[in-house]
Amino acid sequence: MSRCDFKIVLLGSEHVGKTSLVLRFVNCRFNSGTPYQNTIGAAFCAKRMQSNGKDFNVGIWDTAGSERYEAMTRMYYRGAHAAIICYEASSQASWTRLRHWLQELRTVEEDCKVYLCCTKKDLLDSGAAQREVDEEIVATYSQGLRGHFLTSSKTGENVDELFQKIVDDCVADMRVMKGVEEARVQLQKEDAAYRAKHKDYCFC
Amino acid sequence: MASTSKNIPSTANPENVTDDIEPGACTDSILNPTDSFEEFASEMSSSLEERNTLAAKSSTISEIQSEIGESSKETLRETKSSDNLQSKDDSISGSASSSNLTEQNGEDTECERDEYLRSPELVNKEKHVFILSSAGKPIYSRYGNEDKLAGLCGVIQALVSVVEEQNQDILRSISTKDCKAIFLVKGPLILVAVSKSNESETQLVLQLTYAFNQIVSVLTLTQLNRIFEQRRNYDLRRLLSGAERLIDHLLIFMEKDPAFLLGAVRCLPLPEKARENITNAITSTCSKIRDLVFAILIAGNQLITLVRMKKYTLHPSDIHLLFNLVRSSESFKTAESWTPICLPKFDATGFLHGHVSYISEDCQACLLLLTVQRDAFFPLSQAKHTIAEKLRRSNCLVAINDALNRNKELPTTNPLKHIGIPEIRHFMYKCKSTAQLFTSDPISLDRLQDYRLRHKEGGDITEKKIEKLSDIDYVRNYRKFCSQIHCSSTPAKLIFRSNSENTVLAWVTNGFELYVTFDALMEKDHAIRAVDRLLHWIKKEEERIFIMHAPTF
Ligand SMILES: Nc1nc2c(ncn2[C@@H]2O[C@H](COP(=O)(O)OP(=O)(O)O)[C@@H](O)[C@H]2O)c(=O)[nH]1
Ligand SMILES: [Mg+2]
Repeated sequence: MSRCDFKIVLLGSEHVGKTSLVLRFVNCRFNSGTPYQNTIGAAFCAKRMQSNGKDFNVGIWDTAGSERYEAMTRMYYRGAHAAIICYEASSQASWTRLRHWLQELRTVEEDCKVYLCCTKKDLLDSGAAQREVDEEIVATYSQGLRGHFLTSSKTGENVDELFQKIVDDCVADMRVMKGVEEARVQLQKEDAAYRAKHKDYCFC
Repeated sequence: MASTSKNIPSTANPENVTDDIEPGACTDSILNPTDSFEEFASEMSSSLEERNTLAAKSSTISEIQSEIGESSKETLRETKSSDNLQSKDDSISGSASSSNLTEQNGEDTECERDEYLRSPELVNKEKHVFILSSAGKPIYSRYGNEDKLAGLCGVIQALVSVVEEQNQDILRSISTKDCKAIFLVKGPLILVAVSKSNESETQLVLQLTYAFNQIVSVLTLTQLNRIFEQRRNYDLRRLLSGAERLIDHLLIFMEKDPAFLLGAVRCLPLPEKARENITNAITSTCSKIRDLVFAILIAGNQLITLVRMKKYTLHPSDIHLLFNLVRSSESFKTAESWTPICLPKFDATGFLHGHVSYISEDCQACLLLLTVQRDAFFPLSQAKHTIAEKLRRSNCLVAINDALNRNKELPTTNPLKHIGIPEIRHFMYKCKSTAQLFTSDPISLDRLQDYRLRHKEGGDITEKKIEKLSDIDYVRNYRKFCSQIHCSSTPAKLIFRSNSENTVLAWVTNGFELYVTFDALMEKDHAIRAVDRLLHWIKKEEERIFIMHAPTF
């Protein structure tokens, strides 16, 4: 029943800024005033995007990152076309955790395109946070992956670029696009069947 | 027991004035009307062994799954996840987990610890709540930093275990002149309330039980027990992360909202037709979704409608946990959420999966669709959009907003004015057969918010002259009447107390519980006549005030 062409999942420890990243991308907002609230379970958002002159519906799963829900997390990255794994440069622990997600993805969803995202760039730029994670190690790690982005949800820097790159990569991938086409055809069939069955009931 | 000489438990019944009406009564109820006070009774009569092995009863969730032809793969996967937990502990132990913090604090000197107990963060609070593991590890403290309370938790743990081991008895409470400490041992956890409030022991035990249920709600009882079976010393905070906030909010909520005091649920008053349309929108959309157990629409801690799978009802305390979850989570407002939720009364052993989302940007009603099927997000998401569209087209969103914004035209917005009995200052009414509640001054959300903010700043006891009493103050005042009415040894049926400040009448029948505050020095006859008119008004408005149907899918 999913009406989304691409499925993207956000992974990473609690508090690294996953929810803020989605909020910035989907609603162009950043909540700096409100105190931190952890995500309950997982949250789903959809957004329309363009690539190569065509429209696509992108579904984004924002996960909680807490140990409590870990057993459930697989469900969110099953079938994901892309994963954004977030970490904070000022937190070695969040980087350590990132490697765990990477391994999980490799075993469960090997075709998933993986992007690393270093969050809260504005804090690094202003000197409010100190880099703890070694840049060279990050560079080595991201070699085998689809990309590494340094973003700020506060200023919006690199946020659209990250998601645009993901969608462009998906669109350029023949195999993914074949699946998308098939899903669309299938959905049209279902819709037609549904409408035929409910002729007497008008939805508008 | 809080009995004062001014209270006159009366034998004279006002029934000679009031003919037998039970506003809101209904044979079929969406809520399970068992009294929370019964729970207290069973808690108090439980033996040591019973209490320490919180045996989980049979699983309602697996029952539903087998009925709709789902295999029990759910349970299998759960077992697996707990194994992960074990191995994860080892792999993470080197990273910056909170357990390191405790170790550091373990080096604190005795003197530093005592110092902390006297710090402004902790002294002069009306009510503390501490939760620790039976090994004495701190899990939660309402105020201050529980890490620094390792010493105190050690003492609590020692007290509890000395009474258990040496006397084969249960430590229930310790009282000093102005303060009481209430202890509750539940499975692997010890919960303690230290209170200077006028709440009775029963009421405090209930609050601790709620706090425990809140923890079960995020973990399930099965997982909670298993964790501590595997590792007695486990630092539960790692799994609770974020749930502390839920407990914080729950404690405030319980102090303010009489729904907890009475074990009842407040409904959003709506025109009968509007509620019917809302219910129909849900049933017509969801009737084909086989795994759906409950569809619940709520707004501002009030129930709008609840549609359920045949045979299953919800307990008010489970609904309170859902209210609390929605009320304390901003994140539901920005996206559709999909989260495991355990409802302890419904089934403490497993998770339901909830699709949680607000109906629309312009209507702050939140829809919860609870299923036994963990992959059901998309069909439920689809259902939600269809329901929202139907509600908009049938103008139900306007009706909900009117009620939420307390539109002056509605009789339920300011009932006292509408009833026209000037001597009544405040009342609260519970219909027993449906476990639903109505009060004269529904706690406005803003005020609750204010209270919350003030409370965040300290929760200190202040001696402030109150100019105009708010519903919160009236409810505080009802607490002792409520405990007399629910006293298990000598329950009162009718209490009438009149003094120079106000007059309170508390009355319980088979059908309802009613608490009314009148002007000072009211005559009893006069009060009873007023109550009679009040009951007739509630009866007249019952279709609007209460949910009088118990729809199923
Ligand atoms: N300055 C700054 N703060 C951020 C940024 N992203 C997130 N935060 C803050 O970091 C905290 C955690 O963010 P959140 O998105 O909730 O993290 P999550 O747990 O990974 O979803 C919040 O207090 C955010 O306000 C950012 O780009 N810049
Ligand atoms: Mg989050």
